[in-house]
Amino acid sequence: MSEQEAQRPVPKANAFVPTDAFWQATQQGELMLQYCLDTGQFQHYPRPVSMYTGSRNLEWRQVSGKGTIYACTVVRVPGPGLEGRVPLSVVTVELEEGVRILGNVLDHDPETVAIGQKVELAWDRIDDEVQYPAFNIVGG
Amino acid sequence: MAEQSIVIAGYAETEVAFKSGRSAYDFAGEAFAMLLEATGVEKDRIDGLSVTVPLSECGNPFYAVYTTEALGLSPNWLNYGGIGGCSATGGVARAMSAIRDGHCEIAVVLSGDAPSTQWGARYGAWRGEFQDPVGILGPPAAFGLLMSRYEHQFGLKPEALGKIAITQREHALLNDNALPRFKKPLTMEDYLGSRMIADPLRLLDCVMFCDGGNAFLVTTEAMAKKLGIDKTVRPTAYAEVTNFNGNQACPDVTENGFSELAPKVFAQSGLGPGDIGSFHPYDDFTIAVMMQLEEFGFCRRGEGCDYVLATDLSYQGDVPLNTGGGQLSAGQPGLASGGLNLAEAVRQMFGEAGERQVANSRTSLVTGIGVIPYARNWGTSTAMILEA
Repeated sequence: MSEQEAQRPVPKANAFVPTDAFWQATQQGELMLQYCLDTGQFQHYPRPVSMYTGSRNLEWRQVSGKGTIYACTVVRVPGPGLEGRVPLSVVTVELEEGVRILGNVLDHDPETVAIGQKVELAWDRIDDEVQYPAFNIVGG
Repeated sequence: MAEQSIVIAGYAETEVAFKSGRSAYDFAGEAFAMLLEATGVEKDRIDGLSVTVPLSECGNPFYAVYTTEALGLSPNWLNYGGIGGCSATGGVARAMSAIRDGHCEIAVVLSGDAPSTQWGARYGAWRGEFQDPVGILGPPAAFGLLMSRYEHQFGLKPEALGKIAITQREHALLNDNALPRFKKPLTMEDYLGSRMIADPLRLLDCVMFCDGGNAFLVTTEAMAKKLGIDKTVRPTAYAEVTNFNGNQACPDVTENGFSELAPKVFAQSGLGPGDIGSFHPYDDFTIAVMMQLEEFGFCRRGEGCDYVLATDLSYQGDVPLNTGGGQLSAGQPGLASGGLNLAEAVRQMFGEAGERQVANSRTSLVTGIGVIPYARNWGTSTAMILEA
């Protein structure tokens, strides 16, 4: 791990809604997202209620991490937490489970990342203990 | 809006400045004093106040109440507008409702902000866990994503966005309130050569934060007459939506709040895009301007680039666009931003735009955009039609 990566702030869990399930799963290399039991749909980011029904009938379920790039940009301006990371590929991924998630593509030159490319789950190490979900291009 | 007897009976706008060293209170106060002077209204006649939440002071939940103390006002109706760049148009609409309900008679819609001097915002919520780690620290990266999707679905001609930036810059050259650093013309070469911030978004697609303030007087037409005010405009249509498509996980992000609002404001006013004398769309980014030209029916969705390239958007042209330079070329005074577009619309309709006066000052369309959400387009959209 480079020193620059070591400076990245470690996200604080449970700041908005309870997210221990999400963070514990990241340690196992699994991506858990919030699932609305009434409508059978995922939502992300996690919320205090279902954005579909307004109820709290929610649980965390694992998703495949497989999906397609819906939107993509290259962040070129440095900022807090971006030290040594720019140019950075930032994408919106539409997961197979029908929900979108923002992420970084790790294994590609940011210039070559494009909408429509298939991606799979990858892990971005923030420090010795914490890894954050990211993506690689399938067959890349 | 059915009640056509409520009017905007005055406006005031300060110069915008970068790192002015002054506070939101001071800019709001300056705009307030200018408004009293312009309208001749005595301070103590004002019984309603809408205050915009400023980035620079939003750590204080009592900013609006502090503002009444700062101004020596005792309003019977106080609104604290937290819909970002929609707070000015939204404030006027809320003031109209309050007047209609009898809570107040003479309201001021006041915005001041100084984010280039002091930053008071701490967004919290999901951002620390689900947005910041990915590297989306502000609006440009979010708009880079939105632009990429627009480009994918419809194609994007950088020259079209460049033309928006250049046209508005030409307008800023004629605006004494614009930021001094923007007082030089822009060429297509400058635009295309400006550095990428978040592809395909360039530096010259973006606004720059600065400090400034603006104020509007809202009252009934009858009261305006009684006060001896002869210049007024009527907001004849207003519509607003927040979190458009908010119950969908995977909406088309090129569809936005204005898709819903445009038909509403045209139906309320009985006007169409061809009747609009000047268009003052909220312009935090060039792509937002182009998407609004599409949603308001100046052209069809996806045809914005060709339309912009084929249309004279200057103050003398077919669709006079942000004739004061907009935020892109005058500067974005934090969350007082929406008042900048509104002030220029009212100024044009009062016939006070000087060198950049448009020919048709009978109608205008003003919009607001507020807040950047997670992986969508924007949070709040407002649209208001003004008629003489």
